Amino acid sequence: MRSVDVLVIGGGLVGCATACRLAGAGASVELIEASYLNAGASGANAGSLHFQIERRFLENGDALADQAAQILSLNRLAIDEWRGLEAELGDSLHVHMRGGLMVAQTPQELALLEAKVARETAGGLPSRLIDGEEARAIAPVLSPSIVAASYLESEGHADPKALTLAFAAEAERQGARLSLGARAVAARRVHDGYEITVETGRTRSSIRASKVLIAAGAWSGRMGELFNLHLPIFPVALLMNVTERAPPLIDQLIQHVGRRLSMKQAYAGNILIGGGWPSRMRLDASGRFDPGQQADLIETSLRGNLAVAVDVAPQVAQLNLIRSWTAVTAVTADQLPLVGEVPQAPGVYVAAGGSAFTLGPTFARLLARQILDEPEDRLRLFSPARFSHLNSFMGMAGA
Amino acid sequence: MNVREDYDLIVVGGGPAGQAACLALQDRLARVAVIDEQSRPGGQILRQPPRAFTVSNWQAGGTYRKLKAQLRAFETLSGVDWLGGRSVLDVRAEGDGWRVLVSDGAQVASLRTRRVLIAAGCYDMTTPLPGWTLPGVMSAGAVQAFVKSQRLTPGRRIALAGSHPLQLLVAEQIIEAGGEVPALAFAQSLQSALVQAARRPMTVLAHAPQLLKVLLGGLRLTASGCRIRFGDRPVEVVGEEQVQALRLASGAQIDCDAVALCFGFLPQSDLVRGMGLNVLQGRFGGWTAVHDPWMRSSRPGVYVAGETTGVKGAEAAGAEGALAGLAIALDEGLITSVEAERRARGPRRRRGRAIRFAELLDAIADPSVFLSQAQPADTILCRCEDVTQGAVDAAVATVETPNAVKLSTRCGMGPCQGRNCEHLLLQRMNSVEKAPQGFRARFPARPVRIGDLTA
Amino acid sequence: MRSRQGVVRGRPLSLQIDGRVIEAYEGETLAAAMLAVDARVFRRDTQDRPRGLFCNMGVCSECLVDVTQAGQPTRRLRACVTDVQADMVVSTTRAET
Repeated sequence: MRSVDVLVIGGGLVGCATACRLAGAGASVELIEASYLNAGASGANAGSLHFQIERRFLENGDALADQAAQILSLNRLAIDEWRGLEAELGDSLHVHMRGGLMVAQTPQELALLEAKVARETAGGLPSRLIDGEEARAIAPVLSPSIVAASYLESEGHADPKALTLAFAAEAERQGARLSLGARAVAARRVHDGYEITVETGRTRSSIRASKVLIAAGAWSGRMGELFNLHLPIFPVALLMNVTERAPPLIDQLIQHVGRRLSMKQAYAGNILIGGGWPSRMRLDASGRFDPGQQADLIETSLRGNLAVAVDVAPQVAQLNLIRSWTAVTAVTADQLPLVGEVPQAPGVYVAAGGSAFTLGPTFARLLARQILDEPEDRLRLFSPARFSHLNSFMGMAGA
Repeated sequence: MNVREDYDLIVVGGGPAGQAACLALQDRLARVAVIDEQSRPGGQILRQPPRAFTVSNWQAGGTYRKLKAQLRAFETLSGVDWLGGRSVLDVRAEGDGWRVLVSDGAQVASLRTRRVLIAAGCYDMTTPLPGWTLPGVMSAGAVQAFVKSQRLTPGRRIALAGSHPLQLLVAEQIIEAGGEVPALAFAQSLQSALVQAARRPMTVLAHAPQLLKVLLGGLRLTASGCRIRFGDRPVEVVGEEQVQALRLASGAQIDCDAVALCFGFLPQSDLVRGMGLNVLQGRFGGWTAVHDPWMRSSRPGVYVAGETTGVKGAEAAGAEGALAGLAIALDEGLITSVEAERRARGPRRRRGRAIRFAELLDAIADPSVFLSQAQPADTILCRCEDVTQGAVDAAVATVETPNAVKLSTRCGMGPCQGRNCEHLLLQRMNSVEKAPQGFRARFPARPVRIGDLTA
Repeated sequence: MRSRQGVVRGRPLSLQIDGRVIEAYEGETLAAAMLAVDARVFRRDTQDRPRGLFCNMGVCSECLVDVTQAGQPTRRLRACVTDVQADMVVSTTRAET
């Protein structure tokens, strides 16, 4: 039986980055990954660095938008975090922070933008509202139909294919152990922490850990069940599209305040188009959603997503689509990420539930402090304590 | 040209298999369409000249006689909508049928069909070596298609290198069209090819006429001044802006302005895998669709025939197409099972015979002697994304699956969707004893203009 | 090199490749018309190396070129499965980033 200070479940961005921070602080860390590093949403997302309030928080009423405004202080931390990452992990991350525009095409959308920028200004985020002409001066690719945009200079994109691997390599350098193809199948409380049963191929082994971090993306809910916990994290299958390499066309991250769109030109020249259009998840043998299977493309999503892209940037119509891919990510019951210790299971931490590319490195830094019992309350908004009612009758009694 | 929105059957591929299926159905199914990327039917084996050309004695010779007869018969079928010059982007389950997205290079059409036959043929297996991305290096199939349908030799002096006997035929066709073949190099020794043949004496006897033709072709080539080399593999294509020479392992340097590589073929499998049909991995990578004795695939309403089920030549493809056509007629209730069984006997016999010959050919044409040679680390393996052998090997050493290699190196992320590199990656991973599943098949099967999709 | 033996091609027509006017024949593919006049570089790769057509059957996408026809927007088409049309304007010089 191996013993570690912290066992991290999940080899995505948050898992690898947290393992890296913990190991860097001197903790003994093992990370287990059921598949391969970066296999889930961490590697399959489109790499947006979005620090403005997300459209999804604006379309569900004021209460949620108010809450989302509280993320802004974290977003400001994330901006600083991203500015330092290449110096720390190497320039292969292709961090490109050349500005982001969230565009509007109608008076209603303009009103949404205005309210959003007011919230952002109040929260200390230096976004500003510009008219269509100024937006086109910044991003000539934009259509004449764009009437306004909110602009934030620090937005942009990075390479999701590289970031997790860079954190993993750094974690290993700092002494963390990474076990791939290793699946957590059982957990029990022991006097000084937890004992986790791990299946690697046909062999089983046990790991004792004082603390456990569940950072398993869309599988986090299922991992919670091993600890007799409800973690309100739901898998969601999304669509992303990529064009062939094109000459420089889009320097910024482009989003839309009223329609689902995120668009950018990645370092290799391909234009990535997404924005939260649904795909259809497949079901497992028992009829439940199976995040492990390739989700099916929905034709109306494909056409809808591309239509918004062309509407916002007409030149995109001339490019060839070479691949559309579906990938499963996760959302929580209230859309805000779930990050922190679960009150009913002391020593069990979770970090999952959306925005985790942009915020992942920051979650990792702050969460590592929490796990190491350093004073840290900047994650309070995301604490699992807000769902305590779900776990009133759950959890594990101490041994 | 008729294009409906609703079909009883859509056949993907107008080669021998697709043609034979339609002929077996004898216009008894009302709404049938055949889709092919070429503007005229024939497949790669009979790439027809464009309608605007008049070619005398096109593809003369006994090898093509039967195939041409079948093609003529297919072209006279009145009940088939020929949708040539179109690429299938996607075949997707919808209700109790299938939705087929088709591009003609200007518009995207969305067709519905109750049944689908995938008879999409094969393509040349890529085999990287230094200099193989220079303009002028192409697949043997590329050269053959230019000669057959465009009456063009894509160079003045075209050197051939490979392991497949097909290159003898390609060389003859180049010379007949007025080109020169300064060298034809087999990577394997003549002895090893003969040993393989000697292990299958019955097949050799049964196919003596075909084999004799190959030998005679070789003699004619030699007589015309083309030197056929054995046991000499290509090691580098030399040139700056384009091909200037081919260097062989023996040290010979052949001056030429084009090089054709001929090491074998892989089934077109993007649609098959995108549709979630069961497949088996071929020996050198590549995927063959699984089927029952009636060419039914693992999903209801979907049939597979020809090279889609494993590369074994036009004769077997025609037989499988005929079987698929009978199965569709049977499943539609157009014929009785007694009639289907009776009419299946001939195709089954032909198929069995052709498969034995294909096995002989595979043994003779074994590319292992070339593939087992390590190429320099800076050799490009993924042509679309310029990913080198060295970068891929470094990734293979640290990760477990082809998708992980794809994510970490970009190998397979370009417009060809891995058709030219996935098998190479699988070969690398097999050699280090990992169990690869291959890349995930993604939409679209061919690049398509975004404006065409949103129109 | 166009073979002259036993073939009558379609009507002659002309088109432009990278600013150069070339003659081709109705029925030819764009790839054939280009190779016939030794226009062998279809693109440049990420390291600016010249690249040519490879498979000639629509599989490899090495022959994607910019094609403009009168009154229509530019399309990126595979030259091997595209028929020539009179007055096509073709460009192979699009920069790869």
